Amino acid sequence: MSRPTLWSTADLDEDLADAVDAELSLYAQQGQNPAIYDQLGAQIEQLEPLLAIQQHMAALAAVPDVVKSFIVSFHQAILKRDLPSITIFYTTTFPKLTDRFYSRTEWPEPETIAPLLSSNEATEDQIHIFLVLYRDLYYRHVYSRLHPNIDDRFHSYENSCELFNYLLNSPSSADDQSDEPAPVDLVLPEQWLWDIIDEFIYQFQVFCSWRSKVKSKTDDELMMLADGTGVWSSYSVLNVLYSLIQKSKINEFIVALKEEQEQGREGARSAEEVAKSISPYTALPLYRTLGYFSVLGLLRVHVLLGDFTLALKVMDQVGEFLLGGSGFGAKANKSSFTALPTLPATHISTHYYVGFCYMMLRRYPDAIRTFVTVLNFFQRMQRMRNYSGYERKDQYDQIAKTADRTLALYAMCHSLVLPGSPFTRLDDNITSTAKERYGDQMGRMSKGGSDALAAFEELFLYACPKFINANSPPYDDPDAIALLLTADQPESGEGSPIPTEPTQRHLRLFLASAGAQSPLSTLRSFLHLYTSLTTEKLSSFLDLVKVSESDQEAVEEAEEEAVEEAEEEAIQEMMVLKQNSRSLSRIAQGRSEKGNDASPAGLTVIGTLLEGEMISTSDLNFVIDDNTIHIAESTVGRRYAGWFIKNTERSQRVLDEIRGSPLPVFKGKVGQKQGAPGTVAPGAESVAINDSAEATQKKAPTKTVAWGGAGTRTTLDA
Amino acid sequence: MSASWISPPTRTELIENLVSGVDRYNPSNVGILEDYLYHQIRSQEYDCLANLAILKLYQFNADLYNPDVVINILIKALGASPLPDFNLCISLLDERSPNASLDEPDPLPALLPVLHGLHHLLYRCRFPAFWRAYRSDQLESLRDNYTVECAGFEDSIREVVIRAVKSTFTRIGTDRLGLYLDLDSPEELQAYIDKLGWTFNSEGTVVSIPPNPDNQIEAVVVQESIKLPQLTKVISQAARP
Repeated sequence: MSRPTLWSTADLDEDLADAVDAELSLYAQQGQNPAIYDQLGAQIEQLEPLLAIQQHMAALAAVPDVVKSFIVSFHQAILKRDLPSITIFYTTTFPKLTDRFYSRTEWPEPETIAPLLSSNEATEDQIHIFLVLYRDLYYRHVYSRLHPNIDDRFHSYENSCELFNYLLNSPSSADDQSDEPAPVDLVLPEQWLWDIIDEFIYQFQVFCSWRSKVKSKTDDELMMLADGTGVWSSYSVLNVLYSLIQKSKINEFIVALKEEQEQGREGARSAEEVAKSISPYTALPLYRTLGYFSVLGLLRVHVLLGDFTLALKVMDQVGEFLLGGSGFGAKANKSSFTALPTLPATHISTHYYVGFCYMMLRRYPDAIRTFVTVLNFFQRMQRMRNYSGYERKDQYDQIAKTADRTLALYAMCHSLVLPGSPFTRLDDNITSTAKERYGDQMGRMSKGGSDALAAFEELFLYACPKFINANSPPYDDPDAIALLLTADQPESGEGSPIPTEPTQRHLRLFLASAGAQSPLSTLRSFLHLYTSLTTEKLSSFLDLVKVSESDQEAVEEAEEEAVEEAEEEAIQEMMVLKQNSRSLSRIAQGRSEKGNDASPAGLTVIGTLLEGEMISTSDLNFVIDDNTIHIAESTVGRRYAGWFIKNTERSQRVLDEIRGSPLPVFKGKVGQKQGAPGTVAPGAESVAINDSAEATQKKAPTKTVAWGGAGTRTTLDA
Repeated sequence: MSASWISPPTRTELIENLVSGVDRYNPSNVGILEDYLYHQIRSQEYDCLANLAILKLYQFNADLYNPDVVINILIKALGASPLPDFNLCISLLDERSPNASLDEPDPLPALLPVLHGLHHLLYRCRFPAFWRAYRSDQLESLRDNYTVECAGFEDSIREVVIRAVKSTFTRIGTDRLGLYLDLDSPEELQAYIDKLGWTFNSEGTVVSIPPNPDNQIEAVVVQESIKLPQLTKVISQAARP
């Protein structure tokens, strides 16, 4: 029964193929009749380009007029270097047309639309570069809405290379005969430039993970991969990013800007002037922006490859700009912020990757700070949803997704700094958002034990970057590939502590660190109750002594040994606790004597992202004196000032508003309401005055000991 | 602490240029970095970032891969605990195709779990267990082939112990300390402790550890401090007629 059905579908497929692609069927017939082929060979060779042109013309005829005119005006705008129009075409028109005509199919092929461009009186080079840019959009659309096949993957790589090559190695204008490359005369909106770099890395990452799955490849794909080992290689991607950074001299530019600032406001050169003095490339915003985005891109590539120190190191110059000034009080670099582009997508992605690096370096306080900065930023952004340039839902969704993963990472770090640490209270607002979203996991993570590890694993796999292998499987070596294809199970090795698959490997490392910490919260909660106790007593609390209850006499001795062992265990655990209540931190407490700008909270930002100082991350401190543990706890006095300042200011605003608004004019019904305006205003004023007076009185911080402070604790030293 | 980790004072200019520049990706420089690693091994120096640069080159160029170098790097990284150096090294060990052209069988897959286990013991401050594992028969090949070459390996582990003990204790029993440091004979322990500048009590049963920021505790109540800028709005309001 099944045979005829199978046959008929196969038949149908053939029909379809014939109908869809006349060219293909022509070749197929040639293959079947070699004699005819020989005869027709010469003619066909001539025909082939003609045939292609005919096809493209037919395809062009099918392109809707709106799209045609869009392409023509888009090209015009780029030729005229009309940035506002380009921006509108790029951020609004293109996505709208995509939704209308191409939500399920590709945009017209670049070759198809090429004839449209000649009407614009553009030179051949200009048409060419427009086609490269168009292809950039074309492939990005394929990647985001459709399923890229191997040709798309290879061609998008070639197109990116062509674009970067054009930007980096274009010869100077025709009248200058030297071969020296010169900057190209092109303006593109910042958002587009970011998308170019971002997409380049995204396609690289997608290609790598697609490439690493040997088994699902067809024979054709295997062949193409064997030939194209250089395509999307790690070296080529790094090469592009480093070249853009070097060409734009972005790091030198930032150093120069910083020096300019330090010299003082008087006579300081503007960012433009500084840029001009560095190189002709730096002088152009296009290159500066690309260079800056390449640094951020490099951060991402290094994280994907698992090199967390190098990732932070490339941010040496830029990091201070992006992260030092934002958040946490210190706004040292605000004035120069404008010299570099800030797009919401950039901001969020960069903080996500930097924070992730800190997490893998076990610098949880720094990670938390980074996440808090960006999550606050995102919440503000959510409030003004129609952020300029983000009318597009897919872009906004992308940002929202990164923010959600950042929130998951925040939840993990929140559980990894010990409970009661000042860093868990850095931002209550974000913490409660995290609890709303990941409450279940946070609860499990804080409990410790295997359940906690499961929760960590769950969040890590959801929130971690998509790690990749730097190298391709050996497609160019048929024997090795055959070996991989026949292997039953890839040796990812669930049992081994260090699997080779990148995500699994990073997960295991992370879980090992997190797991070492999981008994600590119990330990800490016991210490919390005392100012001093003996190690023996502590070990008995921790339930480490495991003695069987049978056989009383023989056990005596074993018990003693077990008790001793348990005590030893407890002491070693204490050392772990101590270790984990210390962490490197980029922000040191209250040391502003270096002349660095100290924030209002008395905190100083230290140098580059990798640098840091050891700080204590816990409010509970202890020390072991032989066999006695002494415990001291830092408590935070209740904070009134912020509340009173906020409310004083608020009531003042209300008062001002009431004073500023005109007296209401009443029509009719005079009798009843006339008294109202007269009574309300003075009333509000008196309330506000009382309020602020009260506030000023209380603002002088009276020495208050917090609830549950040191004084209330008992010494139970049995 | 962190500054010397990012750029150890012993690092030469040549290495500094390699580590900080684009030249770190040049495969022909791997020899220089490997020589530097062996120099570190002989002279008890340590430069994590330079060693990571070697692993980076191996990551990109599978043909450069040398398992002995990797194992030596991991052994050096053990001594850096509790800093995450060991994990950072492991992070760069990518999947390797099984037929990498080596003359001998690759010793790394067998040793990697062992080293990982040792690191885990150190990170969890299980020092006596670490020494037991390290001295066990199973690890004979690791000792004979690798750590014996690494000058001062045991002392580098003892430094890990000292770091943990120094920040946790004000006084510690001599036996316990001996166990942690794997120094059984009283003379050895005595010599080691004298070198540190720590002192015994009169009976010689307890060692006092000099005060340092980590082993001094103090209960503090953190009071909020209000800076003038926070009050500008309120004050300017008061100044208004």
